[in-house]
Amino acid sequence: MTDYKASSSSSKHGSVSSSMPSSLLVAKPANLQCKDFQEYLRTRSPDTLEKLYNYPTICLAVYRELPEIARQFVIRILFVEQPVPQAVVASWGSQYYAKEQASSTNILTELNVWRTTTIPGGLSAWELCPTFKKNLKIALLGGGKPWSMSHTLEKDSKPRDIAFLDQYAMSRWRCVLHYMVGTGGANKGQGSEVISPDAVRILLHANLMKRDETGITITRQGFQFLLLDTQSQVWHFMLMYLDTCEERGLSLPECLSMLFQLSFSTLGRDYSSEGMNPKMLAFLQHLREFGLVFQRKRKEGRFYPTRLALNVTNKAATVPAVVLEDEKSQESGYIVVETNYRVYAYTDSPLQVAVLGLFTELLYRFPNLVVGVLTRDSVRQALRGGITADQIISYLEQYSHPNMKLTESAIKSKSPLPPTVVDQIKLWELERNRFTYTEGVVYNQFLSQADFITLRDYAQSINVLVWQNERTRTMVVTKNGHDDVKRFWKKFSKNAS
Amino acid sequence: MDHHGEEEDPKEYRWETGYEKTWEAIKEDDDGLLDGAIADIIQKAKRKRQAQKTMQNKLGMMRHLYLMLDCSESMSVPDLKPTRLLCTLKLLEKFIEEFFDQNPISQMGLIVLKGKRAEKVTELTGTAKLHLKALDGLHKINLVGEPSLQNGLDLALKTLKVVPSHASREVLIIMGSLTTCDPIDINITIDALKQESIRCSVISLSAEIHVCRHLTQQTGGTYGAVLDDSHYRDQLLSHVDPPPAAQTQENSLIKMGFPHARQDEGKEKDPPLSMCMCHIENADEPSKITSAGFHCPQCHSKYCELPVECQTCGLTLVSAPHLARSYHHLFPVQNFTELVYNGQAAICYACQKPLTEATDKNVYRCEACSQIFCLDCDIFIHETLHTCVGCVTIPGAAAQVHARKPQAPPMGMLLGSSLGQRF
Amino acid sequence: MEKAAAENDDSGSVSLLVIVLDTNPSQRIVRQNPDNLSQCLDATVAFGNAHLMQKAQNKLAVISCHHHATDFLYPMPVKQLEVRQVDGQYEVFSLVEKTVKQRLSHIITNAPKITQPNESLLAGSMSMALCYVARMQRNAQPGVKIHSRILVLTGSNECASQYMTYMNVFFTAQKLGIVIDVCALDKSLSLLQQGCDITGGQYLRLTQLDGLLQYLLWVFLPDPKTRQMLVLPPPTKVDYRAACFCHREMIDIGYVCSVCLSIFCKFSPICTTCHTVFKVPGPLPPKPKKKKKV
Repeated sequence: MTDYKASSSSSKHGSVSSSMPSSLLVAKPANLQCKDFQEYLRTRSPDTLEKLYNYPTICLAVYRELPEIARQFVIRILFVEQPVPQAVVASWGSQYYAKEQASSTNILTELNVWRTTTIPGGLSAWELCPTFKKNLKIALLGGGKPWSMSHTLEKDSKPRDIAFLDQYAMSRWRCVLHYMVGTGGANKGQGSEVISPDAVRILLHANLMKRDETGITITRQGFQFLLLDTQSQVWHFMLMYLDTCEERGLSLPECLSMLFQLSFSTLGRDYSSEGMNPKMLAFLQHLREFGLVFQRKRKEGRFYPTRLALNVTNKAATVPAVVLEDEKSQESGYIVVETNYRVYAYTDSPLQVAVLGLFTELLYRFPNLVVGVLTRDSVRQALRGGITADQIISYLEQYSHPNMKLTESAIKSKSPLPPTVVDQIKLWELERNRFTYTEGVVYNQFLSQADFITLRDYAQSINVLVWQNERTRTMVVTKNGHDDVKRFWKKFSKNAS
Repeated sequence: MDHHGEEEDPKEYRWETGYEKTWEAIKEDDDGLLDGAIADIIQKAKRKRQAQKTMQNKLGMMRHLYLMLDCSESMSVPDLKPTRLLCTLKLLEKFIEEFFDQNPISQMGLIVLKGKRAEKVTELTGTAKLHLKALDGLHKINLVGEPSLQNGLDLALKTLKVVPSHASREVLIIMGSLTTCDPIDINITIDALKQESIRCSVISLSAEIHVCRHLTQQTGGTYGAVLDDSHYRDQLLSHVDPPPAAQTQENSLIKMGFPHARQDEGKEKDPPLSMCMCHIENADEPSKITSAGFHCPQCHSKYCELPVECQTCGLTLVSAPHLARSYHHLFPVQNFTELVYNGQAAICYACQKPLTEATDKNVYRCEACSQIFCLDCDIFIHETLHTCVGCVTIPGAAAQVHARKPQAPPMGMLLGSSLGQRF
Repeated sequence: MEKAAAENDDSGSVSLLVIVLDTNPSQRIVRQNPDNLSQCLDATVAFGNAHLMQKAQNKLAVISCHHHATDFLYPMPVKQLEVRQVDGQYEVFSLVEKTVKQRLSHIITNAPKITQPNESLLAGSMSMALCYVARMQRNAQPGVKIHSRILVLTGSNECASQYMTYMNVFFTAQKLGIVIDVCALDKSLSLLQQGCDITGGQYLRLTQLDGLLQYLLWVFLPDPKTRQMLVLPPPTKVDYRAACFCHREMIDIGYVCSVCLSIFCKFSPICTTCHTVFKVPGPLPPKPKKKKKV
């Protein structure tokens, strides 16, 4: 047994040998983590959730985030006064979809939407969280207090139309993005915009930018952030803002509820800030800076939510699915990708050109058109910079020209991009990932085959085995599993001796 | 090989026809754009098609059609894009859907010709789904060898022979190859087809072939060689409407069964489990033992779908809605009058679309109920819905419409007796 | 990223619900107790809002089938009402509620007095719903799939005279992939039941109005895709038998005229509807012998 001890101490990192230094292998660079609303909620404590559920707006938003089956379950027991036995709820779902049903049940529990109780007779039952139930009902059927921003207003003498609001919102939001790109250097002066220290603090907090000796520069996460669609950018940014809102003395539930009120408002309509407390007014000013609301003057009691604020958690809903004859459609796509890897971007915005330049080789610039080409080198450069292939593809899809969506292949495959280009970008990424690195501990020099097999089977049974070879009696377990396996071995060898 | 169409139509050649100034139909609008002009042309084409449709078709009640598809090497030629085969499959999808939509109690089967052999891909059945699935499978078929027209015709003949004679029997051949490789003299087969009055039509994707034309002439079918894909489409879709031969067919009363899912009155328990006849010989998809299905009222064999011909006693089994599906041929919606829009109505009566002078140059009025419709609804009503929305929502007009149409009797699922006045 | 792809799959689809509400005062349940109508209306509005609550992209339309006309209750064709919140209800939901109630009261006050019970032209209202759905589908953005369904809520008896229209509506719906759901509040409706069967919708017959909303939410709220995941009432067997034109009796075996498709229970040498003379006299054998082109 002493032999074994010696061997265990000779463990080394990395199951696959490689010429690169091991520290680099193991520490995978942190990518931008974008949580959706559901994930965000799941990381909140039950107390916080309970507080959040005091607002009908939040309940409505939470409800819409639930999976399909969960939504049906909630609505079925919304009007039932008593708790419903769990067996009954389970019988509602088809047995072919048991997995979906189980995950829905879990999510409802995790989000504290419902909880287990026992009913007379000892059966366990589900009961909707009373706060959630009450406030969801209010949102659906009415009752309760009006939302904080819906005081009646006199008619605006100069109402703002949707086109104006869109333009305003994008110009504000681009300020933030320009700031991120612009501070790096070249086009200072006209390109870089001034944003408030608060906004800078959020960018730093979100790790989208970092402070170093030369000043504030954009991080790799920052670049990834730029590739997101606007809706996701806003949502990520707001989440980061909410993280820091307690420091500012703002209450999280209030801010979140305000955010969702905006998200559920009607585009092109004015709302009143009357009756808001000073903290909320401060929050409103921040939203105004980022372009989520439009307000003529700081003190004016009237504001217009913009498209950025609408359906903040759900990007699919922001673009109208059905354009009626009386509504104007507005196109956002400007990129055409051809099967020969050429990229044509109809834009004059330096920001869009800069982002495109991250992963294409730019060939020509015209007043309203940039032509580039996707090459292996340009894409690999982006990949090395920490941008993923999926991010590149989704960026191109997001901003693809409306005509691209009308091609036959686009209608079939749902992606407006030529499949060859999509596949090639993915292949370029895959060719960088021929190794997968796992930190581990090597066990070798076993005295007997039986010892080896026992230990190997144990490691396998607790899912920590990375690699094994019976002939050389060598095995590698993950670093986390090492302690368990060691303990097992000690116990086993003690019993054996 | 004959020259295409020489003996019938001397003006067939393109260079012999008049000089078409196709570009003169297109005019730029004030902004120098063509969109408006093109939309106009499309609108006119749509309306024209609609106007033609009102000609009364006699219903070819039951068609039995074998679709014979050449899958020889010649189908890989890329003169139709991307290849002849892929282009054909795409068009056939549309054809099959239209066929069953227009001929609800008809049946179709699919035969593939390749490597000198004929292979039956689908049996004669009345469900489009089965054929579409089979078509999907043909995308990956290996295109080899020569086709054998005779083998294919023999195979079709064998099945069509036993089809009851009140139904029309047809074969539609899509031929890519210029040659056919047959075991014996094909004239024997052609004579047999003629004997059984099976109507054979051919669409050729390359050039006209003498033996094909001979076949069509002998059996009373049509022959066509395609010019390009849109011409191909028109040729194919012309076979959706019942052929003229079916109109000269003798009229008869056809005995039909109306099966219903069996219910034992008063008893709650499920009907006994049984096997359906349609899948009983199908090795790929063996018939399942279930309690649901349609039972032939004559011999009580069970089938899982309608319409079908009973394999045991030969009775045609249909359901009342299948017959009703064809009624729109008998009671078409009268054409609407085209009016220049000048504020006759603020919105389209049917779809609620706001009408404006800018977007709606013309509006359409139903002469029976005087309601105003937009162009899209005009086309939708005539091509798909077959019911004037105004006439059936306004009580006075509705009463008139209903008076001339079949009605369900009090119990609800029957066909009424007031058909007569129209004939 | 995988998740994003899955969501993409979903995001391209919009669920459109068109509710056809029978508001005809001649319905038995309304004649017995006029309050029943407002109860139905409340349930319909709450149900419509529950549909809108499912997803931000969901769309709703409500059509009333009154004794003299069919009208859209929601949305307004041109300009929507200006509605401000008065309580905690979501603005969009208040808009639906206000619009529907305002329009319906307008219709009821302007309706001509009825002297005798009038049938509801439900088939007509459904055909109007189809035109609306067709328009929505025409206007869909590229890449967006619209899943549409029509829910019919009625306490009327179905009227045999509308048979043709019903059938045209059902086949059109089937062709366009529109699901027809029916909630019968009084008598059972066999024609509409056929429509549900043809289009793959749910048919539900209630004998009382208590708990109407619960029934609606339970059976009709899930969209057809979700319905597979849930246990719902099994489809009832639909009787597709035909009746003969001569005696109007249900028949199992009959004779069909090859020209006009009239159905007869006995063989006759002349078609009584289209006066076609049939060439083969006498009872037709199950397999007639070849008679053409000898």
